[in-house]
Amino acid sequence: MTGMDAILQGGLQGYLVVALLLFAIGLATVLLRRTLLMQFMGVELMLNAANVALLAFARFRGGDAQAMVFYLFIIAVAACEAAVGLALVIGLYRHRDTTDSDRAASLKQ
Amino acid sequence: MFITFALITLLGALAMLLQKNVIVAGLCMVATFFGVAGLFVLLGNPVAAALQVIVYTGAIMVLVLFVIMMLNSHEEEKAEASRPVQRWVSLALVAALALGSVKLVLASSGVKALNLNGAALPRATTLQNVGAALFADHLLGFEVVGLLLLAAMIGAVALTKRNL
Repeated sequence: MTGMDAILQGGLQGYLVVALLLFAIGLATVLLRRTLLMQFMGVELMLNAANVALLAFARFRGGDAQAMVFYLFIIAVAACEAAVGLALVIGLYRHRDTTDSDRAASLKQ
Repeated sequence: MFITFALITLLGALAMLLQKNVIVAGLCMVATFFGVAGLFVLLGNPVAAALQVIVYTGAIMVLVLFVIMMLNSHEEEKAEASRPVQRWVSLALVAALALGSVKLVLASSGVKALNLNGAALPRATTLQNVGAALFADHLLGFEVVGLLLLAAMIGAVALTKRNL
């Protein structure tokens, strides 16, 4: 399989390219969008990109179960991050009446 | 099959990035997560696909959409100051990162060898394997994650409750 074939037919390279582009889109969301909830979704996207790369490598090493354990830990931490992150967004909205990260530039009111 | 799910994933993510309405962006994220779940099925890993749908689309995105509706912040607020330089620099950095890493992956001979060898290996990750690895080798980590989830739950309640 040459490079282009491997991408189109689901070789390891194809999964890695999808993961890299997914990570880039997530990073662009965090950097370019100002709404905190959008930035939060960008972070989730980056975590997902890491998962895709991890499980792709696991499959091409013969279905390694250790990768699944790692994936479970990542998912658990992502769930914790979702709960605490959204609580922080709600707290910010109560204090500043905004969900715009540019308007939360100072610690004091 | 692979290209279908890859396109669903990437187009959903791109639509999320470009979408003005935050709720529609959240729904695009749901499409992306389903695409990723499809990729996991193609990787011979139905356990991960099921977890992806249950945890990400079922729990996390529902929570995010719930918060968006509760705060009533459907549209992005007007920018306080437009920062064209920062925006273009970050866009250029992200594009350079993406193109550079894709080029690196395609040029890597190690990845190529792994692709050729791995295609022949047995692919199925079964729940039995995962359970054995989780509870035999990573029991401490498992317990710590449980504690972390409890701490996150208490933290979220403490942060959102007005007067405890």
